[in-house]
Amino acid sequence: MAKQLGFYFDASACMGCKTCQVACKDKNDLPVGVNFRRVWQYGNGSWVPSGKLWTPNNVFVYSVSVACNHCEKPSCAEVCPTGALAKRADGLVLVNADQCVGCRYCEWACPYGAPQFNEAKGVMTKCNGCEDLLAQGQNPACVDACPMRALEFGDIAELRAKHGNVNAIEPLPVATLTFPALVIKPHRHAQASGKGMGRIIDLVEEA
Amino acid sequence: MNVREWALITFTILAQMSVGSFIVLGIVHYFTAKKSGEKQADELSDRALLAIGPVLALGMAASLLHLGNPINAYKAVTNLGTSWLSREIFFGVLFAVAGAVFAVMQWKKIATFTVRNVVALVAAIIGVALVYSMSMVYMMPTRPGWNVITTPLSFYVTTLLLGVLAMGAAFVANYWYVQRKNPGCASDQCVLLRDSLRWFGMASIVLLGFQFVLLPLWVALMAGSSSASATMLVGEFGIVFALRLALVFLGAGVLGIFLYRAASSPGQEKVMGAVAYVAFAFVLVGEVLGRFLFYATATHFGLQ
Repeated sequence: MAKQLGFYFDASACMGCKTCQVACKDKNDLPVGVNFRRVWQYGNGSWVPSGKLWTPNNVFVYSVSVACNHCEKPSCAEVCPTGALAKRADGLVLVNADQCVGCRYCEWACPYGAPQFNEAKGVMTKCNGCEDLLAQGQNPACVDACPMRALEFGDIAELRAKHGNVNAIEPLPVATLTFPALVIKPHRHAQASGKGMGRIIDLVEEA
Repeated sequence: MNVREWALITFTILAQMSVGSFIVLGIVHYFTAKKSGEKQADELSDRALLAIGPVLALGMAASLLHLGNPINAYKAVTNLGTSWLSREIFFGVLFAVAGAVFAVMQWKKIATFTVRNVVALVAAIIGVALVYSMSMVYMMPTRPGWNVITTPLSFYVTTLLLGVLAMGAAFVANYWYVQRKNPGCASDQCVLLRDSLRWFGMASIVLLGFQFVLLPLWVALMAGSSSASATMLVGEFGIVFALRLALVFLGAGVLGIFLYRAASSPGQEKVMGAVAYVAFAFVLVGEVLGRFLFYATATHFGLQ
């Protein structure tokens, strides 16, 4: 099997602080609205009155940090009309800005919201695994920034050997669409993709 | 909605109209030539043929407006292996070239009638492939409101409906042009015009029938695959949806009957011409609104 780099994400450790998101934004100098890594809050539940008390009813929330999953079957690269989006030998899915026509078709095709349009440049941009840092033997910015040590990056086969094979929990879509190079340690409240009882909350954000 | 989506609406509607017009024109020309000879058939349809090219060119120009980096547009045919968008552009350019070759041959009367027919048939088949690839662009699991069988089917109905009514309007315009230039000479043409428009009236009524099966089917399938889309269509965009239905019903149905009736009675050419223009205008606006709703109600599966 060809080499495939990917992320590990520990949902049981993540506290939703979004330091990864901000570190990515800083490292890649991203404009407002573009975030290669995003932290989604997923939850549900309500409070019900019982006598003089209000008691929680199935209240849960957990966070999922998502960047590009450098999928083994990347739908973005499949639909890209120019071949600007392509998989590199190490498995990273990268945009060649010189080839990109800015049609945003990849944006429709990706179920993870990874390719994002840069209005100023007129082309698609996305997580490149901080390839410049990788070349120096360092980790991507998000991994080293995480105060909870909830992110790792490396050969996906090694990450799977170490952490298992879970690659989809809500709010991520089912993994059979694109086969993401992602390993997740589920939160104790994690819901199976496609069968979740909750919803994405905390949507308001302009950064 | 924004410039980008209006660019796509303009491109898909105009490209489909030009494919439909080309096919309808080919059918009419073929049968007219059989019945009344080549000369009469050419007189009826040659000027209408020349109107198709600019429509397609305008559509393709509009499509560039949805690109963030149009300088690279020429590279967009390089992923034919997996990208329907590449295939769409490929067939679009191929249809334009084949159509232009045919138009020049037909206009200058190059080669025999049969050879020209073969070229026209090839161009028409490319056109059918173009509309198919246009619809496949939208068939992806991440866009559930689009990823339903009604997308390709309704693209074809739109193609033919706009083709029939655009050619109806073009034939009428051509007839008045010939009349003005050379009054009284066109009595044979007048009979052919009425014959064609009677056929167009009937075709538009039949196509309306298909449209009115596909539209509720789309809503039903969409309600299953993307309930948010269905809710938007009948809620937020309910009035636009009603207007879209009313316009296509009035244009293709009610005016289709008037067109058929007026074309059946000699001496009604003025009425017939006016009906043909208005029917085309109504259906064009109705189909544009329909395509607007197609984009406006789209939802995304997964994270965005």
